[in-house]
Amino acid sequence: MRTFLKILITASLAVSTGAKEIKLLNVSYDPTRELYTEYNAAFAKYWQAKTGDTLTVSQSHGGSGKQAQSVINGLEADVVTLALAYDIDAISSQAKLLPADWQKRLPNNSTPYTSTIVFLVRKGNPKGIKDWDDVVRKGVSVVVPNPKTSGGARWAYLAAYAYALENNNHDDAAARDFITKLYKNVPVLDSGARGSTVTFAQRGIGDVLLAWENEAHLVLKEFGADNFEIVTPPLSILAEPPVAVVDKNAKRHHTTEVANEYLKYLYSDEGQEIAAKNFYRPRNEAIAAKYADNFSQLKLVTVDQEFGGWAKAQQTHFADGGVFDQIFQPQN
Amino acid sequence: MKISKLWLATLLGAQLAFKSLAADNADTNRDSDIEALKQQVNALSQEVEALENQHAAEQPAATDAGNDQIQALDQQVRILARERELDQDAAAEAAKTQPKLQVGSNGFIASSADSNFVFRLDGVIQVDSRSFFNDSANKNANDGFLLRRVRPIFQGTLYRDFDFKFTPDFAPSSGPTIFDAYGNYRYEPWLQLRSGKFKTPEGLEQLQEDVNISFNERSLVTDLVPNRDVGLQLWGDIKGGVLSYASGIFNGVGDAQNSSNAAFENEVEFAGRLFTQPFKSSDIAPLQGLGFGVAGTSQNGTSNLKDLPSTTGGTLAGYTTDGQQQFFAYNPINRTVNASGEHWRLSPQGYYYYGPFSLMGEYAISDQGVSSTTVGLPHNKTDYADLQNTAWEISGGWVLTGENASFNGVTPLHPFSPHNGEWGAFQVVARYEELDIDNAAFPVFANPGTSASAAQAWSAGLNWYLNKNIRLNASFSHTTFTGGGGVGTTAPAIVTRQPENVFFTRIQLAF
Repeated sequence: MRTFLKILITASLAVSTGAKEIKLLNVSYDPTRELYTEYNAAFAKYWQAKTGDTLTVSQSHGGSGKQAQSVINGLEADVVTLALAYDIDAISSQAKLLPADWQKRLPNNSTPYTSTIVFLVRKGNPKGIKDWDDVVRKGVSVVVPNPKTSGGARWAYLAAYAYALENNNHDDAAARDFITKLYKNVPVLDSGARGSTVTFAQRGIGDVLLAWENEAHLVLKEFGADNFEIVTPPLSILAEPPVAVVDKNAKRHHTTEVANEYLKYLYSDEGQEIAAKNFYRPRNEAIAAKYADNFSQLKLVTVDQEFGGWAKAQQTHFADGGVFDQIFQPQN
Repeated sequence: MKISKLWLATLLGAQLAFKSLAADNADTNRDSDIEALKQQVNALSQEVEALENQHAAEQPAATDAGNDQIQALDQQVRILARERELDQDAAAEAAKTQPKLQVGSNGFIASSADSNFVFRLDGVIQVDSRSFFNDSANKNANDGFLLRRVRPIFQGTLYRDFDFKFTPDFAPSSGPTIFDAYGNYRYEPWLQLRSGKFKTPEGLEQLQEDVNISFNERSLVTDLVPNRDVGLQLWGDIKGGVLSYASGIFNGVGDAQNSSNAAFENEVEFAGRLFTQPFKSSDIAPLQGLGFGVAGTSQNGTSNLKDLPSTTGGTLAGYTTDGQQQFFAYNPINRTVNASGEHWRLSPQGYYYYGPFSLMGEYAISDQGVSSTTVGLPHNKTDYADLQNTAWEISGGWVLTGENASFNGVTPLHPFSPHNGEWGAFQVVARYEELDIDNAAFPVFANPGTSASAAQAWSAGLNWYLNKNIRLNASFSHTTFTGGGGVGTTAPAIVTRQPENVFFTRIQLAF
């Protein structure tokens, strides 16, 4: 009987060590839903073949700034794939969930793919929008999200600002005047890029949407090329959406290994192909050449060149009391 | 103005044409007149055509201006609608960050927006009556009303994974007593660690919540298993409770005892339990409510406080009847009894719920090493024994009003509302139980003249669930004894002298 009892107690203990599940949470920005839906399936298949483990990756999407704040406030992301480095810097500096030099851990400053900002107009381009000057014309209604909450909106803002600087001998006053005119043409500010897509494409508001390149292609795919056109301006900005493992969360969830591999795999041929197919510009040159038809040629300026890096750009333009707060007045 | 001219010209032309036709046969110069008229009509036609062209030319400009205006208005309407939509989204988003407060049948619940912090206030009040029949030996000594349980229950969650529970009981006459006071770390539902004072994972009936037991008092089986104890337990529910396990280390406590809050002794008690509901997640409805398992404890102890149900006869908790009267005690004549050696328990257990039907059964062995020393003799003599006491019970019920019965109680489909002709749920319950004391206990370890060597009881009752929070019970219990019944003015002698017949009632408020 004593032996039986010992077996019972030991068995109770042994039962506790049997079960195991692997789950990852990828907190991302607004327009990457389709990209990561496809990528997650591919990576889970790869991971199962490699380790035998079944992996489930959950996705969370929203404006990049809002998403970063959610992680800071406790959303337990194992990895973040946000619209711009500044948002991941904020997670590092405010919540100390990953080291300050996180961007050095993966190639290309932890940016496995790039993108840019283009114009999406209604079929036939009734307002004749071809360049940034057309966007600030009186009577042109522009749809773009709020740069306070959306990474894509910050890229769009800086693209327009960079254009104005380039065309005005880097006269900041002229550029500020230009950006003021642009936001006077904005009737609605959504909190994220996907919201602006809804505003423009589904709600039928505005003449032009300042959109992520991949988002513009998605609209053509979803709503039909007979309803919209993509206009690529001669100059735009090189948008670099970075990725990072949120170390402390991953460690707590015992997912550090799989989280690291999840991001590294974005640089693999399969990862790069999936990015290109979803209209993100791949880093891999061979795959970029293969999908060259997906991407128009244009002059791309960088945040570092034009604005002295993200920290400075954020402080100057998007922080409370910055240029955006000074020039933007809601229309209603 | 131009439209008016057009009409005028058309009318004039028509009149002239009519006149010319009327004069056709009378006028000899009609050919020349017709020719003149033709020219006039042609001239008017040209004028009409010119006016039509002019009108057509002006129309698109007017249409374009109107369309622009309509489109501008359309955009304004769309923008306003979208802004409203965004405002609603923002409001919904903001609501998610607000703390939540709920007051209802589940008690008072306050939680943070993300539910990582939860505070919950529940409570139990049980007002009982016990009426004993044919108890001439101690007539009127045990009838009456009592507050059986008066327990505010504070529980909640901190930082999502840390749970706590604190349950004092204000009912005992000796003063407030702590029943539950523990913290629980929930890594996953299948892997949790609990520390503090809580129920030892042993008896099935004992582990059922107090508010959900079928009768006022648990059966004789529960006499042989521990109640609450202080310790540390690793536990979890795998696959949503298809398999549950618990394994812990405790201070150790005697049968049916609720431990003190501290015990500074070397001996500890180990406890383990495995319970399965193999069909819980299956589609086989008739088997989903089937559960069975086994539990056990083991302790090497010499502490009477920690090992024995009671050290002497009398009113201390020990093996008691349904009426909570002590029918057995370690009360040998001129001897003292001490725990000595191993104390282990084993309890196979199971239940079955299907629709309104419920069935529960449990068997328990409590194997206790004891010593007994003579008192007052020149040369004290000590005897040792390994006593194996056993008990079993089977109980069943049927919800007359059709609600489902479950281990977690009955929720009426139609809460009590006489104005609407709704009366809540009614359940009939019945139970049979036995407890058998090891024969080796007598007379060295217990007095056969006063302590019974066995008790057998049956009970039947009616439970009325007015709503989820209020329940009324009425039941009758009949217990007979083997042995005991000798001389004495205290329990267990006065208890075992005749069968126990007791009628219970309860008013229970639980939220």
